[in-house]
Amino acid sequence: MSKGYRQAPGKGEKKRTDGKRIAGKQHFGVPGSGGSNPFSNLQDIDRIPASQGGQLKQPRGPHVHDPHITGQTIGKPTPLVDSRWKVTGQAEYGDDIRLPNELFGKILRSPHHYARIISIDTSAAESLPGVKAVATGMDSVNRFGVLPVTKDEHAMAQEKVRHVGDLVACVAADSEEAAIEALSLIKVEYEVLEAIHDMEDGLLDSKDPIHDRGKYHIGDSNVQKRVFQQFGHTDAMRKAKFQSKSDWSFAGLHHGFTEPHAVVAHWDPNGRLQLYTPQQVPHYVHRALSSVLDIPMHQINVIRTFVGGGFGGKSDPFPHEMCAAILSRKSGRPVRINFDREEVYWINRGRHPSRIQMEVFADEEGRIAGIETDALIDGGGFASFGHVTTYYNGVLHTSPYEIGGFHYTGARVWTNKPASGAMRGHGAVNSRCAVEVAIDEVCEEMGVDPMTFRLANLLPPHSRTITGFRITSTGMRECLDEVRKQSGWDDKFRKLPFGRGIGVGCGFFISGSGLPIHWDPENFPHAAVHLQCDMDGGVTVHTGAADIGQGSDTAVAQAVSEVLALPLDMIRIRSKESDTAPVDLGSYSSRVTFMNCNAAIRAAIEMREKVLKAAWEITGYHPDSLVLGDRRIYYKRDPAIGISWLEAVHKAQADTGSLISSGAYRTPPMGGVHKGAAAGLAPAYSFSAYVAEVEVDPETGFVRIIKAWAAHDCGKALNPLAVEGQIIGSCHMGMGQVLSEEMRYGRTGHLLNPDLLDYKIMSVHEMPEVVPIIVESNDPEGPFGAKEAGEGPLLPILPAVVNAIYDAIGVRINELPVSPDRLHSRIEKKCRKMKIDDPMDLPNPIFEPKPLQEKLSKRADEHTERDLQRDLLKDRSAYVNGVLFGFDPDLPLSEQSEGWRESVTPTPEDLADDSKRAARAWNHVERRHRGENA
Amino acid sequence: MKTPPFKFHRPKSIEEAVSIASELKNSGDSFDWISGGTDLLPNYKWHINTKKHVISLANIDEMKTHESYHIGAMVSLHELEHGPTHPLIRKAAGTIASTLIRRSGTVGGNLCLDTRCFWFNQTEDWRRSIDWCHKCDCDTNADCRVIPNQNTLCVATYQGDLAPCMMVLGAKIHLAGPEGQRSLKLDEFYALDGMKRNVLELGEFVTHITLPIESDELEGDYQKLRLRESWDFPEAGVAASWKRNDRGIEQLYVATTACESIPRLHMEETSVALNEWNGKESAKKLAENIRKTVKPVNNTYFPPAYRRKMLRVLTKRALAGSWSD
Repeated sequence: MSKGYRQAPGKGEKKRTDGKRIAGKQHFGVPGSGGSNPFSNLQDIDRIPASQGGQLKQPRGPHVHDPHITGQTIGKPTPLVDSRWKVTGQAEYGDDIRLPNELFGKILRSPHHYARIISIDTSAAESLPGVKAVATGMDSVNRFGVLPVTKDEHAMAQEKVRHVGDLVACVAADSEEAAIEALSLIKVEYEVLEAIHDMEDGLLDSKDPIHDRGKYHIGDSNVQKRVFQQFGHTDAMRKAKFQSKSDWSFAGLHHGFTEPHAVVAHWDPNGRLQLYTPQQVPHYVHRALSSVLDIPMHQINVIRTFVGGGFGGKSDPFPHEMCAAILSRKSGRPVRINFDREEVYWINRGRHPSRIQMEVFADEEGRIAGIETDALIDGGGFASFGHVTTYYNGVLHTSPYEIGGFHYTGARVWTNKPASGAMRGHGAVNSRCAVEVAIDEVCEEMGVDPMTFRLANLLPPHSRTITGFRITSTGMRECLDEVRKQSGWDDKFRKLPFGRGIGVGCGFFISGSGLPIHWDPENFPHAAVHLQCDMDGGVTVHTGAADIGQGSDTAVAQAVSEVLALPLDMIRIRSKESDTAPVDLGSYSSRVTFMNCNAAIRAAIEMREKVLKAAWEITGYHPDSLVLGDRRIYYKRDPAIGISWLEAVHKAQADTGSLISSGAYRTPPMGGVHKGAAAGLAPAYSFSAYVAEVEVDPETGFVRIIKAWAAHDCGKALNPLAVEGQIIGSCHMGMGQVLSEEMRYGRTGHLLNPDLLDYKIMSVHEMPEVVPIIVESNDPEGPFGAKEAGEGPLLPILPAVVNAIYDAIGVRINELPVSPDRLHSRIEKKCRKMKIDDPMDLPNPIFEPKPLQEKLSKRADEHTERDLQRDLLKDRSAYVNGVLFGFDPDLPLSEQSEGWRESVTPTPEDLADDSKRAARAWNHVERRHRGENA
Repeated sequence: MKTPPFKFHRPKSIEEAVSIASELKNSGDSFDWISGGTDLLPNYKWHINTKKHVISLANIDEMKTHESYHIGAMVSLHELEHGPTHPLIRKAAGTIASTLIRRSGTVGGNLCLDTRCFWFNQTEDWRRSIDWCHKCDCDTNADCRVIPNQNTLCVATYQGDLAPCMMVLGAKIHLAGPEGQRSLKLDEFYALDGMKRNVLELGEFVTHITLPIESDELEGDYQKLRLRESWDFPEAGVAASWKRNDRGIEQLYVATTACESIPRLHMEETSVALNEWNGKESAKKLAENIRKTVKPVNNTYFPPAYRRKMLRVLTKRALAGSWSD
């Protein structure tokens, strides 16, 4: 081992006279390597955690990743690493890809809601000059779909078309004009079938169900999925003193992303398929292409282009991607398919239109005795993510509160509409809105402040929800405290003048789904990251995580940069090609930061070890006593002793031949064992609380949001700039859903507004000031403590606005969006009921606290102390949902109380209430249980 | 989405424009006028009633005259908003669509705006799925989709903002065409039916608008209903103007838009109201009468019942300035 050598210290800012050095405060004369500044920067002591000798305060104690915080980028507002590409217009989105000799692909779509295809004659189209290929359903008969359990899509219609706009055939031609003309020459003969437009009709038996699930088909109905869950004391729950019951109707939504779908397929000279597509989950497209085209996966390279917004709308493998590949295979030339906006609406995958019956019960102690939910959701023509959505509508509102019982019936039906799917806040948004508004109603009945009520009923950190989800960190209480303080809640609630109001809502969302969608083979990791470092000292990161604008490239670059103490411009992300990227399951369920950054940290730690070993050989100091500073590795006790990053890298390469490393992440084992226990299971959960202030015009029903205070617990803001952007963006999207956005179907079942003029996304005029408040609960398993911040922040704004409308004019509405006409009719109704002519004369709601208020206030204070102790791990006792109701957390709850139930198969008594819609799905018997041969 | 090909004509004077139109008319070729294009081009992209020829009025300088009482048809909405005309017109101009559209859209184009309907303003594929409609039947003789089983009237809605404001100020509209020039009062310009829309004959176009000098004495207000403050077409609009005297008001005009196939000046209702004018109460009564007269149909974003009720509120609000200072 060679002897260490000394470098002359540079100019320190302050000189100590006692002969000791100021830790980390030396400039180094020797150039570092790479980065815009050739010299190493001082280490920022303010960003080094207190547990590591720095000054960064961590109110909730140390984190497992603390030793790897070098003060580089984590916690610093960081512009996204690809932002310059975008703002200079050089980023290549799907439509920017141009390959030599490419053809224009166009899709022939169904003009009928529901029809059987009798025949297709493409001969005239094929003989049109300029047309190079025509394809129909006959060209690929293999099914695909994003969920392995519900593969029900084809590249083009096989036998039936299931909604207006469903794919029938496609052509590729030299020019767009020729392709359009060719479409008009394809003759299709249809037998029109009776279409279903109303989701309740989907519950009934049908002559021609939209899909046939074989032996798993539920009756002869159009029920695609049904869920039953019953946990806790549901009998006691129904006897509770305070009850709120409401019947909600939510319109379907589209993501409204800027970039319409666009895809280019090209079979390269080696016979491999190159597919360029703006995708959230390139890996599932990869799998689907393989099965649809009947070729092995290694013959396909999926290239993710820049994605012009996804929000869940680009997370299915799509039939047009298959069409482009098929046309390209037939024509031997690259084929590009670009969507028009109405095609985007026809492929849809937006938020499910839903009808939700919500009951919230509270007992005399001011506890939530239970929640009973019935959610019927309209899946449209295909399954998409619907299987999961059906679960999420129930299980994702079992927290952040401690509840005495939970009864959920959910069903998803097929109708002849464009398919619904996953959209930001997947499955949780609608039922969250319903439950939060119901809580407000119960509070009104009890005479308590809804803020206090929430604070007195929160689950603590390190606990379990009623369905068995593991809560690790929660910043729910801090979120509520912050918005209460910053919004001036106590001076405003029920005290604002008529027409002005304030409301609160909470949210809870998964940070990565615990079970990956493809769990075959079972032991696949959720995310993997490879690092490679060469002579130049820069680190190339290979990851499959899809940056869809949310900044996943930036997050993973930050993670690597932080551990290796390198500036961000020395980190190069390669995340676009499946050829070079390790498998990553994609950008959905808010999993990327949590899972991919964890994998990246592991990979970076491995590389760090290799580099430190090389530094050990040069300096003679053991890695344990070496510190990574900015592009420099030095001896802990004498920072003047050290070598540059580049020297260490060269040494490591000389020793081992190459400097590479990799890391992977998989979730820990967790969750219950009941059917559906995996749905909603996540390694961590994000929490949020919003307060919205609104102004309502009682004469017209117009609602204007004045300001919103949005506190979100993201564990740790790796990049506060991005987190704030996500919070504000989520607010915009959620405000759109609550006030104006809807996919509107006319009396003939046609989608009336497949365009951005009549699909009303809020403009800048409607967007209020949003005060983003970041709460950091330092999740023990999150990368540097981080949790998700992309979807959860959407949830609370809806109920906050609806509750604020009530506070403003005393009118409850349970229909979204709260468009002026809808609210106006509610106002009129209330006026009629109260025999008032002028809506300006409606009474302003008032708040008269009852004795319970004081009791809850006291309990909230006690719980604050309880949560703090658990946060700091001073209190390590078990805690499960039910402790508030007097249960012992260490014994199974069902053994402690006779009435406690945990059941996922309904008995006839469970379904006795025939007013419940989704529950009717259980009236059918699956074909396999009827003794028929399916 | 591809605009079908058309031959583009760019006359430099009104005479030249008329002569091109006459030629095309005589040869039986179909054509459209285009000024700002913000209404026509989206329709062309959707293949709605496209023509083989398009004549642009953008290069005719005499149509850009912009004075207090004379507004050329080619004055842009943005210029109008910041121009020397009556404040009521300027206010209304500033609320039309969005900043970008106002830079390009023109006064003439806004007055001649094509009527709109959920069943009509859609792409070709979409309209095929409903078997077309009366206004754009693609030679199928299709029925109206809003009110089926009647094949005579198109009920598409006129959603322009300027017309009612100009009507209540007594504006005159001036037209030119193969048969010469003519002028008429703006409220006589519009003709029922969502397809016919106005009295323009084939080859005729709007050259300019004039306002009477007495319009200076009128105060007024324009109130419109729309979900978003940008982009959206009005779902209902009420323009009102009045002349004050020492006892109250002596003239009163109210016009509505965006509820029917044409904008409408309500002379009968206002003269009744004016006879017994006593401020707020009369305004309320007038508002109720206007609500009763106007009959929107279900073909725009808000349901017709709501739009009617809002007419009442908008009328009340538009008149609010007439009894307070």
